[in-house]
Amino acid sequence: MRDLAGFGLGLRPQHFPSILGDDPDVCEGVDWFEIISENFIGVGGPLLRNMRAVAEKFPIVMHGVSMSIGSVDPLDTAYLAGLKALADVVQPKLISDHLCWTGAHGHNMHDLLPLPLTEATVDHVAGRVRHVQDYLGRQILLENTSTYVTFADDEMTEWAFLSEICQRADCGILLDVNNIFVSAFNHGFSASDYLAGLPVNRVQQIHLAGHEHNGDHIIDTHDQPVPLDVLALYEAALDHVGPVPTMIERDGNIPPFADLVAELKGVRAAAERALS
Amino acid sequence: MTTSLSDLQKKFQNRLLHGDDAVDPLLGNGGPFMKVYDHAYRARLIEVMSQDFEGLHTLLGDAQFADVVTAYVNAHPPRQRSIRWLGKDLAAWLAKTPAWAEQPMIADMAAFEWMLGLSFDAPDETPLQASAMAKVPPEAWPMLTFTFHPSLNTALLSHDVAPFQRAAVSEDEEPDSAPAPFAEPITWAAWRDPNTMIVTHRALDIDEAAMLHAAAKGETFDAMCEVVADLSDTDDAAVRAASILRAWLDCGWVVGLDGEGISW
Ligand SMILES: [Fe+2]
Repeated sequence: MRDLAGFGLGLRPQHFPSILGDDPDVCEGVDWFEIISENFIGVGGPLLRNMRAVAEKFPIVMHGVSMSIGSVDPLDTAYLAGLKALADVVQPKLISDHLCWTGAHGHNMHDLLPLPLTEATVDHVAGRVRHVQDYLGRQILLENTSTYVTFADDEMTEWAFLSEICQRADCGILLDVNNIFVSAFNHGFSASDYLAGLPVNRVQQIHLAGHEHNGDHIIDTHDQPVPLDVLALYEAALDHVGPVPTMIERDGNIPPFADLVAELKGVRAAAERALS
Repeated sequence: MTTSLSDLQKKFQNRLLHGDDAVDPLLGNGGPFMKVYDHAYRARLIEVMSQDFEGLHTLLGDAQFADVVTAYVNAHPPRQRSIRWLGKDLAAWLAKTPAWAEQPMIADMAAFEWMLGLSFDAPDETPLQASAMAKVPPEAWPMLTFTFHPSLNTALLSHDVAPFQRAAVSEDEEPDSAPAPFAEPITWAAWRDPNTMIVTHRALDIDEAAMLHAAAKGETFDAMCEVVADLSDTDDAAVRAASILRAWLDCGWVVGLDGEGISW
């Protein structure tokens, strides 16, 4: 049985006045919020205060961008301690990060970088996920990222890679449907094959987002409304995984809160269509 | 022949950091879209720095600001886990890098904005109420030491950058002229109001700045009074120091004090 249900939005500082304002209806149809963990680790001030006020009213999930689970550098114990402390405060329903690396050999590129799809990488990442889960005392979710290159050493498909790691580490999947769409186009694989190859019972959360089409490649910009073809792929995904908590992840070109609430209604309608 | 993950990550990263092409043979099909990573890396750094240094960005314009960020990042390849700390060394780097050091106004702007940013999201702590001082026995005063709120930060500035910065970040103001130099460098303090959480800043008098510097190093109230006596023309340094301390307490700067038999 899942703890989290329904439809959510990424919590963005621009929207605090709306969410925490006097109008109780502004959040109609928003069942939960996702926070970016890094924004609230080791800090105080108005953003933390507002986030905690939201957390008192809504279930929260925590989404990280810097665990660097695929890096060859040791896991950052200070970061994990911060993550754990934050989780103690907000009591998130889920904790996720990305199946990627963000830097190595002491550096941090602050970007979600691609991993070679090999058995050796599966071993490496699965071991680290288990370590993180032991430390946090709970399961985490890994999200598929958009990628723009493959490696000559690749030995398997991206979905086999994701599935294998999650099975070996016994972790969940945060499925970003837009990222599947983007990577399928960039690398010429079939998004349907991707969906069919997933261990459906591990998918615990879904991200929807927009992108930028550049002719021969698509860039996952997260700064546009969810396009219709991503929404169609979402409906296909629900066909496989059933009702999974879903949210719109908007990272740039942030519109007024009401626009995202309206967009989320469209997502809910798409889910109802797919599951009816 | 498979490449180790360590080697692959080093080469991939060197591509982003230095434009090194050793990663190319490791990419599938020659990696036609590798440029997306090249671009995203630089663009993200510039975007984040622009958010943290909006006044500096306005002062320099897009092209020069991007040059500054690129040169800074080349000098300080990012190592911090959180991108929040990317700009930590910018002001110091600008102050000592020949092309920029000639215009100290630029380093001043960076120092000022970094100070405001630190105050904005510093960890929360409960300020000491001014009334608590009444409970300190007179004989304990000389040896009292103080601890300060994490949101209290200072910067020594030689230009009046605050009006320009305020206009640059405001939606309905435009900065009109470049920041003017001060006759002498002035210490500015920024802090977050504990109730409204709004970040405020003000210039400190010379004796107040020196007293704060001493207090922040853990020196006693007695030593703070000596600092004040050296720098102000007042007859009674203890009275002057006590009134400065009172102003700090009223602003929520002080979170703890320590002395014989007392500790808050
Ligand atoms: Fe995502």
